[in-house]
Amino acid sequence: MVQPLSGQAIYVVLLRELKRYWRAKARVISSVAQSIFFLAIFGLGLGEFMGGIGEIRYLSYIAPGVIGMGLLFGSVFSGVSIIFDRQFGFMKEMLVAPVSRTSIIVGKILGGATTATIQGIILMSIAGIMGAFTISFTFLGGAITAVGAMLLIAAGFVGLGVAIGSILNDFHAFQLLSTFVMWPMFMLSGVFFPITGQPLPLQVAMLCDPMFYGVELLRWCLLGTGTELLGSFGWLISLAVVAGFDAVMVSLGTYLFSRSQI
Amino acid sequence: MGKINTIEVKELTKIFDKTVKAVDGISFNVEEGEILGFLGPNGAGKTTTLNMLSTLLRPSSGTATVNGHDILTESDDVRRSIGYVFQDTTLDIELTGEENLDFHGRLYGLDRNVRQQRIKELLELVQLTDRADDRVKTYSGGMKRRLEIARGLLHHPKVLFLDEPTLGLDPQTRRSIWEHIQRLNQENGVTIILTTHYTEEADYLCKRILIIDFGKVVVLDTSDNLKARLEGDVVTLLFKNPKEIETFRSLLKNKNWIHQINVVATGNNYAAMSRMIQNIPGRSRSMNMGGAMPGMSHRNIGDHKKTTKTSQRKTEQSAADESLQFGGKTCPKCLNLLVDKGGHRIPEIVKLADEAGVILESVELRKPTLDDVFLSVTGRNIRDEKGSIVDMVRRHRILRQARGHKVKG
Repeated sequence: MVQPLSGQAIYVVLLRELKRYWRAKARVISSVAQSIFFLAIFGLGLGEFMGGIGEIRYLSYIAPGVIGMGLLFGSVFSGVSIIFDRQFGFMKEMLVAPVSRTSIIVGKILGGATTATIQGIILMSIAGIMGAFTISFTFLGGAITAVGAMLLIAAGFVGLGVAIGSILNDFHAFQLLSTFVMWPMFMLSGVFFPITGQPLPLQVAMLCDPMFYGVELLRWCLLGTGTELLGSFGWLISLAVVAGFDAVMVSLGTYLFSRSQI
Repeated sequence: MGKINTIEVKELTKIFDKTVKAVDGISFNVEEGEILGFLGPNGAGKTTTLNMLSTLLRPSSGTATVNGHDILTESDDVRRSIGYVFQDTTLDIELTGEENLDFHGRLYGLDRNVRQQRIKELLELVQLTDRADDRVKTYSGGMKRRLEIARGLLHHPKVLFLDEPTLGLDPQTRRSIWEHIQRLNQENGVTIILTTHYTEEADYLCKRILIIDFGKVVVLDTSDNLKARLEGDVVTLLFKNPKEIETFRSLLKNKNWIHQINVVATGNNYAAMSRMIQNIPGRSRSMNMGGAMPGMSHRNIGDHKKTTKTSQRKTEQSAADESLQFGGKTCPKCLNLLVDKGGHRIPEIVKLADEAGVILESVELRKPTLDDVFLSVTGRNIRDEKGSIVDMVRRHRILRQARGHKVKG
């Protein structure tokens, strides 16, 4: 069944996400603080001890990954929040309105991607202040490109969150989700160490992690380089995988959401 | 000129999990500008019917039209025609009252000027103007309800569905919401279907009442006509010794002027009720709250033996809970008679009791209420229901809050 999209409906759902994000200050602060800890303890502490990765300072090396972590957790959480909408009844208010479920979920995904990206921009600025990036015109161009990449990366993970939220009906499963989905994705995304030189099984696992390509893409934008494994067109491969992941996850999320019961 | 039917329902059926018939082939019409009451216990199929009429659930068979649009084929038009105030709150508590209305207005495609104008009017109507910029999480239960009713009207629906609009609210708030509903109906001419299991509510608000039980329409008529079906008066006898009830009942059985005999609790006679409540340990506290909301509770004579056996245990927990929530009381010491010319028969009843050596503590005479009608047509008491788990949980929560301590179980 083809469901018509309504721009107004998409916009209003997106607007609600932004308002809620802005008001959930505790969530924003704790997520930003967590990322600062990572940057400070690993980037500065561990980094000073073990030196850089090739030519790159360790702090700079992990900065795109830590931004990616903010995106990953923020966007999956946004998607899964449909469980809360259902639990607290607001979902019914949306479902009984004369708009398609597709419009609602597109609004939700755009809203979640936007808030996660705002989070990403905050983290990028903090990393910059901590000295992770060499500020130049080239970098500014890269940073702007990075914002686009963040939106793209986040959209797929909001879709994943929506898909999970459509299947799971209670938020006790949340802990499981965090332990078995989000953390492995984060740890395998190549935030802390390069993929080259790792044992083969680990390399395979990392290559299966969509977040790996997200982090690669951000590294290309912010540092102008990526892993040797994917070569000099690594950014294109990463972009293609992220875009493909988006397409699959947004469709899956929309599909599962439209057949879920009230 | 014939009345226009805003809603026409034909053989609507919903079967869950292939076996549970939540709604079983119901048909009825609702006239334009009417307030129709769905009266029935929890689980009778009221909400399921509304969910089908609002296109949230697809019927297993049958269909309906709402404002001339078919619920199966024109669901968007149906949704545009209706406002639905759900049983549980569906507000976003992180947003302000005004923002909740604004969200709704945008979702229904109202342009800015219209939206702002109507939000202002509706906030005034439900007297929330000065709280409009506060987040909904700071609102009381009654304020949330009023906001939801306002929201349901924002897009000027032809039809408004109100699902248990006053569930769990205190008597004053309930009264004020009733007045709002009545005013909306009179001023805007909006057609309303209201579900409730409070007979007083149906009686007060609704022109016609549809009694629904086990997913079927039991009867559909005006409140007055329904009560007129029960010819005669209700006489309630309060016995000193519950053991004598059975004896006395058999004496009354073959009197042709008695239409019905039920084991019952009174609600209308507060004094008699207080007295009888005091005799039951652990009840007096809930009595104070239940009594504020007159109502009554019956049990069929057939269930009587079972009832008295378990009543001691029930008294301690669930019965008190039920009564707090519904204002009804189960009374193991009462007998309820539907009698022709009740006033004239009282002396005869008293004489019979004297002759049999049965001691009556009090005799009460009154006109039949909707509770009596419900008992008469369904054979069970509206408050004697086994709700779903969700209802039970909710009830316990409300009770816990009201009492300020934990409910056992």
